Amino acid sequence: MGLERLLQIDRRILYLLIALGTLIPILLPIGFPVSTTRPTERFFEKIESLGPDDVVLASFDYGPTTAPENAPMAEAILRHCFTRRIKVVVIALFPLGGVTMAGQELDLIRAEYPALREGEDYAFLGYKDGAQAAMKQMGVDFAAVFPADHAGRPLGELPLMTRVRNYDDIALIVSLSTNVIAEYWVNLVNAQFRTPVAVGATAVSAPKYYAYLDAGQMLGLLGGVKGASEYERLLLDGYPELRPMYRKPGVYNAMKGMDAQTIDHAIIMLFILLGNVAFFQMRRRAGRGGDASGGAART
Amino acid sequence: MGNLIGIWIGAFLTLCVFSFLYRDNPFFRFAESLFAGVSLGYYIGIVAANTFAPNLVRPLVQDFRHNAHLLVPLLLGLNLYTRFIPRIAWLARLSLAVYIAYFVGINMVQKLHGEVVPQVGATLLRPIGGALTPIDNLVLIVGVLAVLVYFYFSAEHRGAVGAISRLGIWYLMLGFGAAFGYTVMGRVSLLIGRMNYLFIDLVRTTAQNL
Repeated sequence: MGLERLLQIDRRILYLLIALGTLIPILLPIGFPVSTTRPTERFFEKIESLGPDDVVLASFDYGPTTAPENAPMAEAILRHCFTRRIKVVVIALFPLGGVTMAGQELDLIRAEYPALREGEDYAFLGYKDGAQAAMKQMGVDFAAVFPADHAGRPLGELPLMTRVRNYDDIALIVSLSTNVIAEYWVNLVNAQFRTPVAVGATAVSAPKYYAYLDAGQMLGLLGGVKGASEYERLLLDGYPELRPMYRKPGVYNAMKGMDAQTIDHAIIMLFILLGNVAFFQMRRRAGRGGDASGGAART
Repeated sequence: MGNLIGIWIGAFLTLCVFSFLYRDNPFFRFAESLFAGVSLGYYIGIVAANTFAPNLVRPLVQDFRHNAHLLVPLLLGLNLYTRFIPRIAWLARLSLAVYIAYFVGINMVQKLHGEVVPQVGATLLRPIGGALTPIDNLVLIVGVLAVLVYFYFSAEHRGAVGAISRLGIWYLMLGFGAAFGYTVMGRVSLLIGRMNYLFIDLVRTTAQNL
């Protein structure tokens, strides 16, 4: 009978446990170890292979709704690029806050790399509507899509953009995405222009991108906050001088987020197990002609 | 001070949304409606400032002679609004036809060239071999074929077809399970973000401003 009560447990108890499982690691970081996977390692190795003569196109295809997953990816990748003095062209194709997220991340990174010069080390071109149309046109001429940067300066006045005309001048496209825009980078830009594409996707989108990864259409994939934490791990192992940025108290990063993820997932798995044990026990008892009363969790 | 007010408004709206965990209530509905309205208003503003102004308005105003061709998309766009005038509503279909034709054209090439052909090619594997174990490729090939049989409804799912289709269902369920696990991680990430906002960002910003 005790196990049957688990099938009727008040949902608010589960909410409370999940809330505590999330809050406690945020306030008291635990530091669970982070292991890396091949899709993240390939992403990292590609940027490791680039240098000051290469240009990376970073497309902010996410908004504030998925910032807890995508923002740590963006920060880690920008820090990696700027530490290696790789040039970065930043655009946004997601309408609901993509340009805001791009601006915020650049403001954060600029404060950490004061020697960076806008227009020479990086260019922020802003947002453009019509993702597929913009992507197709950028394959011919960036200036046709972005006649000026986010501050309104004509592209011809930016030293970096005088050497970036189209995808032929881009070594890697990085899409930090919450939705289908990353697919367009792969099945339109990579397919037609052969520019390597690596994607940092939300956990909800990541499963469908493994098909592109395995087919070689995508070079690397960061899946949700787990992928972001793996990239941070690789970054800190390769560049120990960046550790102070990830040890600031009260500043969220993916490795801290994985502490809460680990505990929350453990709670969820425990209750799934207990619930299934109780369910099958009750079914067996009902089959023997015993008490068949049972039920779902009370709302 | 503006930052402080903004972050407290954000905290109030977060709690309004969380109140749905107890039950539906006016605070939740207010936050939900506000989110929908603000999102739409933001979208209109961002498109006007980042697409209309630099790519249409400024070129036409600053150098009309060399950009006169932009009148075509301008008129096609304005033509869509004729659907609100019953006498000439049929004109809107012309713009819609151009719009749909463009996206059918671009998507057809994109889907075939970027998805169908590469994915079929990536499935043409040697049966024995793979990244982790020698049966990786065999598992993949069998799975793809079984799932395709499941979605083939022109033959009744009985006998051999039924057995293969049931195998396809198992593959689909395993795939959905993996996707569900990822989805749980995604939703927990958003909760972590909100908790961080309420207990770290809000407290820090309030302390800094007091």
